[in-house]
Order: sequence, then C-alpha cells, then structure tokens
Amino acid sequence: MTDNTQVQRMSLDAALDVLARRREEQVVVGTMTANGVWRQKSPHDLNLACIGFMGGASTLALGVALSQPERDVWVIDGDGSLMMQLGSLGTIAGAAPRNLLHIVIHNGVYETSGSQPLPSQQQVDFARMAEGAGYAQTASFGDAEEFDSAIDELLVTDGPTLVQLYTRPADRFYSARPTPPGSTPALARMWPPVAEALAKE
Amino acid sequence: MTAQSIPADLLLSAIRDAGVQDVVLVPDTHQRTVLDLLMDDDEIRTIHCSTEDEAIAVSAGLIIGGRRPMMQIQHAGLYASVNNLRGVGLDGQFPIVMLIGLLGRDPELDPEDDDSSMVRLCRPLLETLDIPSHLLDGPDELHRIAEAFDEAAERHGPVALLVGTTTS
Repeated sequence: MTDNTQVQRMSLDAALDVLARRREEQVVVGTMTANGVWRQKSPHDLNLACIGFMGGASTLALGVALSQPERDVWVIDGDGSLMMQLGSLGTIAGAAPRNLLHIVIHNGVYETSGSQPLPSQQQVDFARMAEGAGYAQTASFGDAEEFDSAIDELLVTDGPTLVQLYTRPADRFYSARPTPPGSTPALARMWPPVAEALAKE
Repeated sequence: MTAQSIPADLLLSAIRDAGVQDVVLVPDTHQRTVLDLLMDDDEIRTIHCSTEDEAIAVSAGLIIGGRRPMMQIQHAGLYASVNNLRGVGLDGQFPIVMLIGLLGRDPELDPEDDDSSMVRLCRPLLETLDIPSHLLDGPDELHRIAEAFDEAAERHGPVALLVGTTTS
C-alpha cells in the first residue's frame, strides 16, 4: 500500500511549469485550483475548464480526444475531482484514446473548500488505480526535476496515460462569486471558440 | 393510448437517419435489443461509460470536437446525473439528445400516473430542469429523434426522448 505521508511533494507551480514548457496545440481541460494557475501559465485558445460539474474534467477531455484522434488532449485533474467520478478511469481505459494525457494533481485535500482531507488521503494512489483500470501507461512524481526528465518519453508513448503529481497544498481557498445577472456561464463562453478552432483544421 | 414496442431495427434506422455518429451509453435493460444492434454496427461508434454523468461530459467533449453524439441511458441514470446535466448540459449550453428508457412503465398509463417513482418522476424532473421531453410510444413517433436534434440545436441545450416501452 502506498504511504502518502512519506512521499516527496513539489509545488503546484513547479509541476505545471513542466507541462507549460511542452504546451503546443494540445486541447487542455483544467479544473479546480490548478485550472486558474494553468490559465496564467499557458493562456491559449484551446484551453477548456470544468467549472461547476466537479469530477467531469476527464470525461469532457475523453470526448474531445475521441473526436480529434490526431490532436493531443491533456486534462489537469484534481484528486478530489477524480474521486467524485472515479468510474471515469474505467470509461477512459475502455475507450482507450491514444492521445489522452490524464494529469492528476494529488495534494490530498479539497483545497478550494478549505483543505479538508480527501477520503483515504494517506494511502490513495491514482496511478495504481489507473493501471488496474487498464490505462496504457501510468507514472507518479513528487519531484519536479524528475518529472521534467521523464515527461517527454511519456508524451511520445501511446496513451491513455495517467501521471500522478504529488504536490503540496497551496491553501488557495476559493469562494464562488455570485453570477452577474444575465451573464453567460463560463463553459458556454469557452467551448464554442474551441470547437470553431478545431473545425478549421 | 397504449405504448407500442418499437422494433430495434427501426429505432436504429431512425438514429442513423438523424446523423448520429456516436452513441454514448450506460446500458439500459429497456433498450437492450437496440444495444445489441448498435454494438455490431460498423458506422455508429458506441462509447461505454461507467455512469450517466460521465456520458453527459463525454457527449459534450464529442460536440466540441465536431461529432454528433446521442446519449442512451435509463431513467435511473437520469436521476444519478443531475449535476452534470445542469452544469454541462444547461450551463454549458450543449445540444445533447438523450434517449432514456422508462424501464418498468405500465404501457397502458401515462408515465405521470405510473406507480413506479422512477417512471412517474422522470418528466417532472426534466420539466424542472427546463429540458424538453418527448415520448416515443411507438414506431410512428420515431421521427422525433431527428426533430430532437433540431430542437436541441435551436435551444442550445439538452432534449430528452423517452422510450415508452421495451424495444423488440
């Protein structure tokens, strides 16, 4: 059994920097705390976000990956998010998209609601779960330099790939703001331009 | 009016005529004869999900990527997927068409008069969510599948089709 109390952990910034340096024309679906950080590090018209349907990031990305088999699709998932729709590991493994990279930010807490512990915080291991579900490859990193050294090989190997990144909670408490009257929800604003960009190619 | 069983081959033809490229599904006992045909079909891809909320998100992703999916689930799955239906379907404004089996419905009754809460509450729930629903109570109503795609596109949101009795 994995002992998460003993693993090395990197900062979320360092983990996402490794990915941002490899960003080209991938569609990237972010969620929760990492989404805001990612959008600052890698602003792009092919960014999507899972906001308001926690747990749905990986299957939203799966749909894009299956519809665009020649384009790489990344999802930057959270551990609490994945726990909410854990069956998605089986769904993704069954659909077997070669172009899907599933990053799981493993900080062990529900950071946006105040860093309450995840169920099975001390032992849950998403890489082993994904391996058991049938992902083509899985890996775990707690050190940004090790992740940086290994990611290129992982990216050129057929997926679906799950990479579990052990990070330190950043203690970014999130408080939802009221939606301004008459405004269009974020996802409805976000996806049509992405669909349009994908349709052009 | 008594609901009539829809032959699986006719239902599949209507799905094909509506231009469906992917059927995103969680197996529905009620529509198992159609599922058997779909899984052997060379043109329409089936994508099997663990849960119905995943099916909603997968469908949305497929739409972003330019595909024309249709969901196929059971009424119990509709109840299980409400947050994704709201957050993806409604807030995301995705034109998702859902084929939902009313397993256990008394074909002699309107669904709202059924003793089974799973049958009885289905349309009121959809109405609460402001999602249009249409009964498929026989082969003569299969034209509603293609029409549902037009309606979903016009509304920028989900539309439900309720399969009234077990397919044959």
